[in-house]
Amino acid sequence: MRRLLLVLAAGLVWVASLVWAAGAQAQGPRIEPPGGSLPGPSLGGSVDSGAPPSVPIESATPDLVVDLSRARVSITSAFQGESILMFGMFDPPGEVVVVVVGPEARETVLRKQRVLGMWLNTGRQSFENVPAYYAIAASQPLQRLLARGAGGEILSLEDRMSIIKPVGTRSAAELARFRGGLLEVKRKEGLYPAAIGQVTVQAGRLFRVDLPFPSRLPEGVYEVKAYLLRDGKIVAAVSRPLPVGKVGFSAQLAGWASHDGALYGLGAIVMALFAGWLGGAVMRRL
Amino acid sequence: MEIYLPIAELSINVFVLLGLGAAAGLLAGMFGVGGGFLATPLLIFVGIPPAVAVASQANQVIANSVSSLQVHWRRGNVDLRMGMVLLLGGMFGSTAGVWLFTYLKAIGQIDFVIAVMYVIMLSTIGLLMLVESLSTYVKRRRNPGAPRGKLHTHYLVHRLPLKLRFYKSKLYISALLPVGLGFLIGILSAILGVGGGFVLVPAMIYLLGMPTAVVIGTSNFQILFVAANVTFLQATTNGTVDVVLALLLILGGVVGAPIGSRLAAKLPGVVLRGLMSVLILAVAIELLTELLRTPVSPFSLGIREVQP
Repeated sequence: MRRLLLVLAAGLVWVASLVWAAGAQAQGPRIEPPGGSLPGPSLGGSVDSGAPPSVPIESATPDLVVDLSRARVSITSAFQGESILMFGMFDPPGEVVVVVVGPEARETVLRKQRVLGMWLNTGRQSFENVPAYYAIAASQPLQRLLARGAGGEILSLEDRMSIIKPVGTRSAAELARFRGGLLEVKRKEGLYPAAIGQVTVQAGRLFRVDLPFPSRLPEGVYEVKAYLLRDGKIVAAVSRPLPVGKVGFSAQLAGWASHDGALYGLGAIVMALFAGWLGGAVMRRL
Repeated sequence: MEIYLPIAELSINVFVLLGLGAAAGLLAGMFGVGGGFLATPLLIFVGIPPAVAVASQANQVIANSVSSLQVHWRRGNVDLRMGMVLLLGGMFGSTAGVWLFTYLKAIGQIDFVIAVMYVIMLSTIGLLMLVESLSTYVKRRRNPGAPRGKLHTHYLVHRLPLKLRFYKSKLYISALLPVGLGFLIGILSAILGVGGGFVLVPAMIYLLGMPTAVVIGTSNFQILFVAANVTFLQATTNGTVDVVLALLLILGGVVGAPIGSRLAAKLPGVVLRGLMSVLILAVAIELLTELLRTPVSPFSLGIREVQP
């Protein structure tokens, strides 16, 4: 038993030296995870920091008033994806278009090919400014609305995809294939929901639309924008920031893991040592 | 009941993870190996990103080996000297392994390498074990009282320089071999998230010629520290250790292990080894078909980089 303790003590010394080494490294550049730039759970307040909500951007008399059923998407330990309701009122006549855009980042699309009978990633193509999430809904078929002139500002998913900038050069046909691949993967992950419910209008002036968010959701500040169109022209637009972030226990763990990997790693080791020791002790009693 | 894993960034059913942990624990109890070689591919099959599966599995291995080490230490079944020599190689190997892992992840080939390494390793070990247990079974039936052979046969091992005396293992062999073995296991541990017991244990018996009694305890000793090193390095360089995932696997393992050891007490060793070889081969075949089958979509996404 005494020897075991000695060995454990030696292990602790080694672990301490690792911490010291990691501490020396911590000054160097670190790769922040996607959520790294997001301030902590205090973000709830930032809803008010942007353009005042519920106040249209252009006209003095509100043509368009909107609100969200939640001020933020909170990723807790029980998070399984969430559906957020956007609702509001507009001055008829007109049509409502709602666009949700996630934070932009560089995405790399990998393509598998058969090599010697096995499938492995052989091709890769990066794109700049790819929105983490993109959804668009309208109170009328979108193509018809956008064809009448608002297409410059409001982009359908296909239009948005066509303006993401590829990194490096490749033939147009190849780029189109990778673009298609990106769209396919994002759709499968529920991040580019192809068919979010139509914006439904009641009593000629009340509208609502459900915005679905999957459980695997990149963090950051999303933007929810509502437009009021008349004769194909935008007459009012309201933008609301929608922060998406981990809160509570999972936020603490993730923050710890990204900001102090050494301490987190040690914590993980101690947790496993203790759990294993306890498990062993319990097993012997049984 | 779904739970959100903060590092893997997805929600998954708690009972799936507990069940996986229990299955790994069952193996640990039955065969005295970690079961990580089964748990890691299964975690990947249920959708955990391979990088997270491997790093978190390394964390789970610590718990597994500490509870096993307790027992063997008490019985005096740990050759500390051999363990230290193995560990020397293991530390270098696992550090190199994490570095290799980070590089493979950056070039987008980590998933493929993990799968291929599993296929090669599992099919080799599975076949060797199957052949061994079948031939033992046949021999025993023909000649139940067969005399035991020499303690161990002499190979090249015994001619390398830097010879060390390992009293507990009753060996006088070159230290280079255990160091090299530790190094290779360290790399495996870092890239595949396994303790490596299922490679280390046969290698210690057949390659080093160690007596079976001290093999499990000694391998657990080295695995404990190598897994701790991998956990630490993965946490600092890749940030892929999910403690919630690891804890659930450990909890499942606590339930599974005693069931496994009770089963092991009831079945003869040859049958156990035969069963295990079939299991190992099944995982290898599943992984191989995954590699050969035309994927639903050839596209996947690499790491998302937030621009400054």
